[in-house]
Amino acid sequence: MDVLKQLLGRLHPLLVHLPIGFIILGLLLQWHDRKKREYRFVIGFIFMWGAIAAVLACITGYLQYLGEGYGFDTIKFHLWSGIATAVFCLLMYLRLREPRKITIFKSMPLVYFSIVLLAMISLTGHLGGNITHGEGYLTEPLPNSIKSTLGITAFQEKEIALNEENWQEAQFYTDIIDPILNNKCASCHNRKKAKGELELHSKEGILEGGENGPVIETNNSGDSPLYARLILPKDDEDHMPPKEKTQPTKEEITLVKTWIDLGNPFEGSIGELGLEKNLFLSFFPQKHDYDYPDIEIVAAAQDSVNVIKSEGIHVQNISKVSNFLQVTCINKPSFGDTDFHLLKPISQQIAILDLGGTQVTDAIFKKLATLKNLTILKLDNTAITGANIEQLAQLENLKSINLAATKFEETQLEKFAQFKKLQAVYLFNSGLQKSGIQSLNNGKINIDYGNYELPPIPSDSIIY
Amino acid sequence: MKDVIEKLIQEKLAREVEAKTRRHFIKSCAQGMGGLALSSIFMGCDPLGKPAEKKLTAFSERDLNPLATLAPPYAPKVKSVIYLHMAGAPSQLEMFDYKPALHKLDGQDCPQSLLEGKKFAFIKGTPKLMGPQAEFSQEGESGNWVSDFMPHFKKIIDDVAFLKAVNTDQFNHGPAQLFMHTGSPRLGRPSIGAWATYGLGSVNQNLPGFVVLTSGGNTPDAGKSVWGSGFLPSVYQGVQCRSKGDPVLYIEDPEGVTRDLKKSTIEAINKINKDEYAKYADPEILARINQYEMAYRMQIAVPEVMNINDEPENVKQMYGVEPGKESFANNCLLARKLVEDGVRFVQLFDWGWDTHGNIRAGSVDLGLRNKCREIDRPIAALVLDLKQRGLLDDTLIVWGGEFGRTPMQENRGNKKMAYKGRDHHGDAFTMWMAGGGIKKGASHGQTDDIGFSGVEGRVSVHDVHATILHLLGFDHEQFTFDFQGRPFRLTDVEGDIIKEILA
Repeated sequence: MDVLKQLLGRLHPLLVHLPIGFIILGLLLQWHDRKKREYRFVIGFIFMWGAIAAVLACITGYLQYLGEGYGFDTIKFHLWSGIATAVFCLLMYLRLREPRKITIFKSMPLVYFSIVLLAMISLTGHLGGNITHGEGYLTEPLPNSIKSTLGITAFQEKEIALNEENWQEAQFYTDIIDPILNNKCASCHNRKKAKGELELHSKEGILEGGENGPVIETNNSGDSPLYARLILPKDDEDHMPPKEKTQPTKEEITLVKTWIDLGNPFEGSIGELGLEKNLFLSFFPQKHDYDYPDIEIVAAAQDSVNVIKSEGIHVQNISKVSNFLQVTCINKPSFGDTDFHLLKPISQQIAILDLGGTQVTDAIFKKLATLKNLTILKLDNTAITGANIEQLAQLENLKSINLAATKFEETQLEKFAQFKKLQAVYLFNSGLQKSGIQSLNNGKINIDYGNYELPPIPSDSIIY
Repeated sequence: MKDVIEKLIQEKLAREVEAKTRRHFIKSCAQGMGGLALSSIFMGCDPLGKPAEKKLTAFSERDLNPLATLAPPYAPKVKSVIYLHMAGAPSQLEMFDYKPALHKLDGQDCPQSLLEGKKFAFIKGTPKLMGPQAEFSQEGESGNWVSDFMPHFKKIIDDVAFLKAVNTDQFNHGPAQLFMHTGSPRLGRPSIGAWATYGLGSVNQNLPGFVVLTSGGNTPDAGKSVWGSGFLPSVYQGVQCRSKGDPVLYIEDPEGVTRDLKKSTIEAINKINKDEYAKYADPEILARINQYEMAYRMQIAVPEVMNINDEPENVKQMYGVEPGKESFANNCLLARKLVEDGVRFVQLFDWGWDTHGNIRAGSVDLGLRNKCREIDRPIAALVLDLKQRGLLDDTLIVWGGEFGRTPMQENRGNKKMAYKGRDHHGDAFTMWMAGGGIKKGASHGQTDDIGFSGVEGRVSVHDVHATILHLLGFDHEQFTFDFQGRPFRLTDVEGDIIKEILA
């Protein structure tokens, strides 16, 4: 019997389309027939079947409510409006076919009935859709600006934000586990829509479990459905969240496991529970340590890039997600100071510039100073002496200068102290003494003279 | 003469007729109709499209030059990779993975529990455990272990990050090398270098994007497939260069052929090839056009970059190079020069690491020492040289073999061997990486007391690949190539980035 109930219940989403179709068809015919009144009989017939189908839809709907674990609060408006639609449809039929029997009908114009019925069927359908597809399904594609003017609020994600200072103080459940469950599970497992009769948005709900029993085996993540279902293959029927929904990250899954194995504590901070920092690193702000500034910039015009490329200069985006460019003259060793004008159209986008092995001289510094986002500069194997290199001090992102195999002069070295973000200067083979200044600005700038040696040792020549 | 030409033309026509099948006919009909419809929609007045020559200009840079660079999907940490592969599988127990407990157990029978269900290449019956044949010490600020087989290595020990518990499921050289370099123990997949050049292209227009250098007297057991392009277009395969004799075989023009004649020959061939491409749109034709052109440029550029004689004396001494010979040291210096010139992927293979103990050269206490001496100085020199040139931040160096070796002494045929040796062992072995994006002085993973299996931080070959691709700016799960009806990845359906060794 239970099987039959469930089966009938699951026919509800199919059956509901019958009354919708009948009623709309009836209303359309009524509109068409408003003058001549030729089709009364047919229209009545349609509404009769509309009413029968609506009653069937109500019954199967109720069975589905019993069988699928929806909360009554979730479905009550749909249920009432569905019943009301069925009743109105029946009244419509009676108004058309037996107006004389019920006198009160005679005084009411047919058009009122029609309008109310249209409104009822639309409302019921919409509420039903909200239950299966989730509230806000219809309005979801709207742009956020329109949504906010309509007063629709999106599902509330809870943010997990940790940093070097506060991570140990964060509450393990409240600040980490609850937001994970909220963001990845609670859209289906909440009070309104407790799929599988499981609610994961609160302590009580988690402890209570779902229709198959508890979701947590204390201290045993492997036997706890709350964790075990997360690590099932995505195609497995029991995998959670369902594969079309946003999946938790590897780090989040590990944290759920850790939490269960710890005995699912609802109180206590990360520090008190003695958890390791690297469990939480993915929630720390991501450090920007790329070879370009931490700002957004407009893309360079493709035309100008093509012009530069046609000159044999290699230009390429640093990555597909960044508009910053790297430029190298590896295929154009003839590049000289006067060729710099070629790079002007992309002066804002250049972050990495390799002029190694070209004809540039100290006169290039004045021009390079206009590349305000320059981060890495290579001038190795050139005639650079370092005169006027202080002009680059205004480049606030410059972190590495390669001057290997140049004629760099020792007197210019101290000018680097004015550079704000500089970290590395390479001076291998520049004729400077290895014993010179090793670092500047309290060790912030490392000066690498190279000339590393691997002196011969006896074992070099022993053959076994 | 005229007859010959007529004959040729006839043969061409006959071949064309033979080559056209019904399938071709239907396909071109369908394309023709579809094309007509489409072009009339888009262009309105030009239903027949544009003539063939104009089509060529509409190609992307990549169509005309398969090695044109592409931006990586994410910000990369390195631009180039130098992969040092010790073919034959070096013994981690004599180089990096120090197991003092194994000393004490030397000569004792290996417990049965370890042997059950395991397959070995040669070990039979109950082998005996064998202690480390090298002296170990902790070096550098990191205090990581290295043996006296690698005395120069301690100079760079704080620059590298060790993976102490790599594992592979292959225990024979060929499949294991294929697995290590293509992500699959069977033939047919592209090598890491091929994936990298396919995904990123190469900056230098006069050099191949993927260069292979071999030493040790032999090429790897798995053959050239370990630097093959698999199902990727063949232009992305590795180009083998030699440090002895002509750097690339037949790179010199034959006698009587001048540079100009060569040039006009190639131009003529390429014109024909372009016409063919306009007709059939087969990307392999483009690869061929490009390879003719690159070969022409390489004739000048390669001998230049492959010439180590002009390097200063102190550099030669640092690497310990032997000009004119084929050696790992020469190859390391060449690797630096190639990376300096913008080559994307340099793959070094050094043969002769298979220390079974059957011959003197293949013993872990003698032969292995010689092999270590051959690589120790060059590797230290390579890291230091890249560093002083400011290139180490842009380059990833990977070192490893195809698997490791057993803590037990090999007993081939259940007999005592002539020399001390160890059998193939994939459960746990050591690799290391150095360069851009790598956490300096890190050591990830740990083996049990005798170095049989990883007990902590086990990583797979797929994990190593995922990490290399990550450093080059790829998400290894997104970087795919469609072949035989499905997308393929270097890491198949596995692989986790080894975050523990990333800076």
